[in-house]
Amino acid sequence: MTRHIEKRGKSVLECKGLSVGYKNAPVIRDINIGIERGEFVTLLGPNGAGKTTLLRTLSRHLQPVSGTITIDGRDIRDIRQAELARIMAVVLTEKVSPPLFDVFQFVALGRYPHTDFLGRLSQRDREVVQRCLRAVHAEELQSREFASLSDGEKQKVLVARALAQEPAILLLDEPTAHLDLKHRMEVMTILRHLCQSEGIAVIASLHDVDIASKVSDRVALVKDGVITHFGYPEEVLTSANVSTLYDFDSACFSSHLGSIELRGDCHRGRVFVVAGMGTGASVYRTLAKQGYALSTGVLLSNDLDCFVAKGLGAECIVHPPESAIPVETLAQALTRISKCQAVIDTGFYASGAYKNNLQLIEHAATLGKPVFSLRQQDTAPDETRLCGLTPVNTTSQLLEVMEERI
Amino acid sequence: MIGQKLSAYRHDLSHHTALSHTTIFMLLAASIAALVLLNICWGSVPLSLSRLWHCLIRPDGSTESLIVWKIRLPRALAGVLCGGGLAVSGLLLQVYFRNPVVGPFILGISSGATLMVSLVMLTSIALQIAFLGPFATALAAIAGAYGVMAVVVAIAARVKNGITLLIMGLMMGYLCHAVTAVLMALAEKQQVKGFVLWQLGSFSGFKWIEIWLLAGIGSLLVMSVYLMAKPLNAMLLGEEYALSMGIDVRRLRMAILFCACALAGMITSMAGPVAFIGLAVPHMARMVFSTSDNRVLIPATLLFGALVASGCDFAARFLLSPVELPLSAITAFFGAPVVIRLLMKKQVQL
Repeated sequence: MTRHIEKRGKSVLECKGLSVGYKNAPVIRDINIGIERGEFVTLLGPNGAGKTTLLRTLSRHLQPVSGTITIDGRDIRDIRQAELARIMAVVLTEKVSPPLFDVFQFVALGRYPHTDFLGRLSQRDREVVQRCLRAVHAEELQSREFASLSDGEKQKVLVARALAQEPAILLLDEPTAHLDLKHRMEVMTILRHLCQSEGIAVIASLHDVDIASKVSDRVALVKDGVITHFGYPEEVLTSANVSTLYDFDSACFSSHLGSIELRGDCHRGRVFVVAGMGTGASVYRTLAKQGYALSTGVLLSNDLDCFVAKGLGAECIVHPPESAIPVETLAQALTRISKCQAVIDTGFYASGAYKNNLQLIEHAATLGKPVFSLRQQDTAPDETRLCGLTPVNTTSQLLEVMEERI
Repeated sequence: MIGQKLSAYRHDLSHHTALSHTTIFMLLAASIAALVLLNICWGSVPLSLSRLWHCLIRPDGSTESLIVWKIRLPRALAGVLCGGGLAVSGLLLQVYFRNPVVGPFILGISSGATLMVSLVMLTSIALQIAFLGPFATALAAIAGAYGVMAVVVAIAARVKNGITLLIMGLMMGYLCHAVTAVLMALAEKQQVKGFVLWQLGSFSGFKWIEIWLLAGIGSLLVMSVYLMAKPLNAMLLGEEYALSMGIDVRRLRMAILFCACALAGMITSMAGPVAFIGLAVPHMARMVFSTSDNRVLIPATLLFGALVASGCDFAARFLLSPVELPLSAITAFFGAPVVIRLLMKKQVQL
């Protein structure tokens, strides 16, 4: 049943010098992008950047201000509406809830461009509708009343209706808005699958950068009336680009983690976290959320903790992973510790590169700094048992104790 | 496998419902025929079926024959034709505006007709056009209804937003009513009574030429509407989706408005503004057939409209006979509770 994806490299949809918007007021200027068969392209940008306007122009709901759109090399203006409907289908943000329609009938409306003048369904039409319902995992919904479905189910059925047009290009305007996490993921998985198995080119506007970075083949960043970047998410979605795109000042997108970290407001004192190998990630987030300013180290630059800490705007003392951590770097960390109000030991695995970090904790204790340790004291090997620490078992306990002591 | 079985089952199911649809259609047609017979036979001069048969087949100069041919038959047919036409017109506009409380007069058709008729009935203009005689009212109503329709269609060609159009129609209605109200304040009592009665609609006094016009033009319009059933179904998802499915939305919008206004305008010019049939009947059809498929709803509303109008006309004549009640009062008595009940059951959301 699955069609083989044609050789890549030839654009199914191409915009040349395209400006979209309204008369005398273009919203996005000079768009030059090509989209290939089976490709998932995401439009990202702040509200009002013109993502919807661009999609509406591609679907010919709006006339281009200037420039051309071609489909398989043909100018879109030369394609009759009825033919275009067999090439391109849309899922809009507008809520539709026609009464007295069961899901099967609703999806069958998508057969419109293929049926006769009274819209009678042939055997093949019915099969296509079934196939589309299967593709969005909504077969069991088919006799349900459309109006009675949940938002997530409706969205899947709307995708199925668009698929029933058997399009080569599918345009979706914020397909995951108003959906719960399960359906958000399900809809994205379905769309991803459609690209790969059916060779449909999907163009969607999304708000979740993290989802976009994981699902898209290419992304277009829309800001200030232009497409600032268009390319592979791995290259385009850098921390700096995403911050500029959304004017982040207290958030940061980590391209390594594919997620967004929220910086705290640092209204409380500065604490030093001795972490490593992922033991620090959740501690950093909790502390940042509570408003503590963060310093951390010494971390190898490829440590997960390092990415999270940087995302949260922490002061990081970092060392490249190829050599042992030298004494000078440890000394640097100690200077930092002396300026912090408390030190937290995340219970990192104290061996190898991070063995010497234990010295930091010891020194902190001798400096008279309060040291809180999440280390399991009973199970810890002898050489990592330290004195002068306040043991805590959980992060919530840690916060309570810190509240008292600082 | 399961999918195929389900599909086959669905096929059977739809076959089954198609069958029951046919049954409902036949029942409707039979009820209409029965009501028409009742309307003709019942009255101050009652007729037996055999006597009626005789009058129909071999009309003689007898009073009964005259009553049948001049009064009761045209009136019964007018009820059937006007009811069906108004209901289809209402359905069209409900689908176009995706709004359940829209009726054929929402765009000001009846207000335009009323305005022109008030000019004729309440002012001395009638004296100047006396040569038109009994046709003056009908012609004025036609001019008013189609004048408003021309404005609506012209606006629709420019305005894309259905809501804007709806509000413009409502505003035009208010304007026309304002003028009418001023005229009523200035007019003499006797004239006002006649005008108020006209405003409540009636199927009486139809001439055969009007019946033929209604039947001829009306059936042409209804057939055109039926040919639009497929794009009308797509319109249920809104203009944006309709466009994406390959519909020339602008042309369809003009066609919908033209057919709806032409039907409502023609009927209003002959029977006056008959309220509620265009609003309530499409909901009845939706509920009874439990579908939004316009391929079913168009014939269904046509028949339901005919049935309801005939029934209401009979009630208007029967309830307090020999006094005849105003038709719009009866249709409102009947229609308003239907709409309220449906709204309470949340079955009329469009």
